[in-house]
Amino acid sequence: MKKNRNYLFFITPAFILYTIFVALPIVIVMFLGFTDWSGMGEIHLVGIKNFVTIFTDKRFAPEFFNALKNNLKYLLCVWLIITPFQYLVAYLLFIKIPAHKYIKFMVFLPYVISTTIVSFFATLIFNPNIGFLNNFLGKIGMASGAWFGDPKWAFKLLILLILWQGSGSGIMIFYSNFMDISSDVMEASRIDGCTEWQRFLHILLPLSLPSCASNITMSTIWALAIFDMPFILGGINGGINGTLDFANLVFYRYTFGSGLNGKSDLGFGAAIVLIMFIVMMAVTLLQNKLLSKFEYDN
Amino acid sequence: MSKNKSADFTTGNGEVLSTSGKLIRWICSIVLIIYSFITIFVLAITVMDSLKTQTDLVTNFVGLPKAVSFSSYAAVLGGGEFLRYFKNSVILTVCGTAGCIILSAMAAYGIARYKFKGKSFLTGYFMIGMMVPVQVSILPLFIILRNLGLLNKLLGLILVYISGISMSCLIFQKFFRTIPTALEESARLDGCHDLTVFFKIILPITKPVIFTMALITAIGEWNDFYMPMVLLGNKNVTTLTLAIYRYIGQFTRYMSESMAAVVITLIPIIAIYFAFSSQIVEGLTGGAVKG
Repeated sequence: MKKNRNYLFFITPAFILYTIFVALPIVIVMFLGFTDWSGMGEIHLVGIKNFVTIFTDKRFAPEFFNALKNNLKYLLCVWLIITPFQYLVAYLLFIKIPAHKYIKFMVFLPYVISTTIVSFFATLIFNPNIGFLNNFLGKIGMASGAWFGDPKWAFKLLILLILWQGSGSGIMIFYSNFMDISSDVMEASRIDGCTEWQRFLHILLPLSLPSCASNITMSTIWALAIFDMPFILGGINGGINGTLDFANLVFYRYTFGSGLNGKSDLGFGAAIVLIMFIVMMAVTLLQNKLLSKFEYDN
Repeated sequence: MSKNKSADFTTGNGEVLSTSGKLIRWICSIVLIIYSFITIFVLAITVMDSLKTQTDLVTNFVGLPKAVSFSSYAAVLGGGEFLRYFKNSVILTVCGTAGCIILSAMAAYGIARYKFKGKSFLTGYFMIGMMVPVQVSILPLFIILRNLGLLNKLLGLILVYISGISMSCLIFQKFFRTIPTALEESARLDGCHDLTVFFKIILPITKPVIFTMALITAIGEWNDFYMPMVLLGNKNVTTLTLAIYRYIGQFTRYMSESMAAVVITLIPIIAIYFAFSSQIVEGLTGGAVKG
């Protein structure tokens, strides 16, 4: 460990760029939320007017809360479907089921494909007119569906797509957590004649929980920020009846698209982002509290 | 290290499994293999469809092409626009990744090797970027870039990409703490400047970590959709992901062309995945440091 000023050579360039393009924007957005700036001209401080509009405006509030509800619904799916699926597959890879190398390779592959291309694939399959799912259903004499145009299906299909594309990273993180568990413990459990189920319940599960917590925290933050896929598949208005509408899409619509008053309103957009951010923090805190209860004391 | 580990306690081997245990494993394996066929199926269909002519494609969406034709590729590449998008994506990814990796390695070295006031603050400060999704800061970024005159310019987005150092900075810090200081001390006694020591001695031993982190960063930037859409709205500075987004919007009209466009976009990323899948996984799970 050295004590001289040379560290400045190393840190300054990164510090300057990081401050301008990562840290400063966060501060600016907090300030903008309290203004009515349209992007040009003077900036007026308007207090909490934007927030009042968000919660009480007859047109906007239902739209925003529908989107937020979808976000939370999606988050529930992450917790109850996607994460358990990732954990299960990671465990299966860890116990080396037949063909595990091939499975590992294939399960992770969609992760490197961009969401745009995944959405393109979804169009190929689910397009009501030419997609091959309807084609196939027609051939075997079943009624075709509207899929992403059908409010009953759209959300479920989105979850399936995300499960297919996004679960790879989580699987790998859980898998590497399993691999990090000390071989002594594993050896001891084998000598003591642990059954597979006991080993999973009393060794693997508790030992992998702390690292699971950080993984779940990250996926929660990203779940609340979801944008790309619903935007590409459902359009800027969030699908039929707002089934694919998420908080981020609302933000995009009102900031960069046509706004509440027909003009783009950056102050209002910033206020939406702030609400989103607060929800994000609240959920993360709550979740960490919950997860720490299950944590194994050792 | 990780390879030895997996050999040490291969859970399946060395244990006598019951018949039912074996059966369950096989069933799980078969289910996952079938699941993986979705990926192969979709990729295969796209490649095959890209080799069909538009008329063939409309009548024969799933089957093999009647005759292999490169007309859709010719249509995509012919206008020269798509090649420009490709070039834009390459420039963005290469510059963004290179800058981000160099800056984060330097910052990580400064934090890991020096003692100074506010060091723990700085460590936390550099981690904020990981916890805050880009959507939160996109609006101010838009304003900042507009004021700098960099909106709708590649340079603007490159700067934003370079600033995304949080993740790699953390990984590099972990790695630098594992390098013994003796090496640098001797170089410093020979009168080398700290920066020379870093570039001549530290960076070469960091190569494997740099490589994995660069892969992860590059994949993220190559696939990025949101930031190019907001910060590069202009048609001349479109990236590949944006081009494909436009093709989805007019899918029925440009079917065969869009297939070819998707294949061209996928080729680099799939090739990299086949060549370096283990490094990508390591970089993602933080395994890069364990060596």
